[in-house]
Amino acid sequence: MSAPKGAGFTRFVNVVEIVVGIIAVAFVIALFVNEPAEESGAPKAPGASIYAANCATCHGQGGQGGVGPTLAGQVVTEFPDPADEIAVVRNGRGGMPSFGGDLTDQEIAQVVEYTRTDLGK
Amino acid sequence: MAAPTAPASATNTNDSVTVKMIGVLLWGAAVAVLLGVYANEHTATKEKPYTLFFTDTIQLKVWFATAAVILAVVQVLLALRIYGKLRWPRTAPPWLGDAHRLTGVVAFALTLPVAYHCLWSLGFQSVDMAGEASTRVLIHSITGCFFYGAFVTKVLCVRMRGLPGWMLPVIGGLVFSALVVLFITSSLWYIVDRPAGFPLF
Repeated sequence: MSAPKGAGFTRFVNVVEIVVGIIAVAFVIALFVNEPAEESGAPKAPGASIYAANCATCHGQGGQGGVGPTLAGQVVTEFPDPADEIAVVRNGRGGMPSFGGDLTDQEIAQVVEYTRTDLGK
Repeated sequence: MAAPTAPASATNTNDSVTVKMIGVLLWGAAVAVLLGVYANEHTATKEKPYTLFFTDTIQLKVWFATAAVILAVVQVLLALRIYGKLRWPRTAPPWLGDAHRLTGVVAFALTLPVAYHCLWSLGFQSVDMAGEASTRVLIHSITGCFFYGAFVTKVLCVRMRGLPGWMLPVIGGLVFSALVVLFITSSLWYIVDRPAGFPLF
């Protein structure tokens, strides 16, 4: 393997530095200008924020799956009875932790309802 | 024999070095504080703005941070060779300095989308996802701000002439240490402690 030619490699690194510098500035600008779009339609389901805070990390923001399995469009098939899904959320299953100590029964019911209706839409 | 007194020019030079040192440290501190203030005051969006070819933003962050740490380790090894602390290869190739710069720049670039999501979407936090106080999360938040402050200080040290020779490796070591702490408190935690283990793409 031949060594990079000195001047050419230095120029390349200089260009990379400039490009990364511009990207860094763009990220800083984006921090201030990239505000989320205003909600204009109907208010979000109460389970949406619970899902975003507790479930989205593993199951994906839109329920498309990630570390955990896909939920959007799947949970109703896997759990025809919502009580079974509620039990899994409350008690955990396999690699999924229990949320019974972190969420109230009402919150669990709301997030389960959200995964069965609005998630992924 | 009486000790020679320092000439006036030497005193001026010492003062100038001190001013420069304080200046670069203040710039770094300002960046760290500003990031902390932004992260604390900005309303966390909780959104996931990008995934690229990953299945989720969290996977992107874990892999980017891991790659950044690996590149940082390479950069430290190159620095050790440049400073003569490593003797291999016996003859230092002329492109070593440029390779050191390149690995650092790419590592820094990889941290940008990770930091953006942390700052914009999550904010400065001291509680975990379950809402319980978490030392890990607090250390991660503080170190994240410190890292970019230290990085700015290091860049200024590289660009500015007349600073003490020990300053660049010390600040560089702090930048590296901060990056490792950030990795341990986020990606490594995610890889090791999550039930599913090592994340897929």
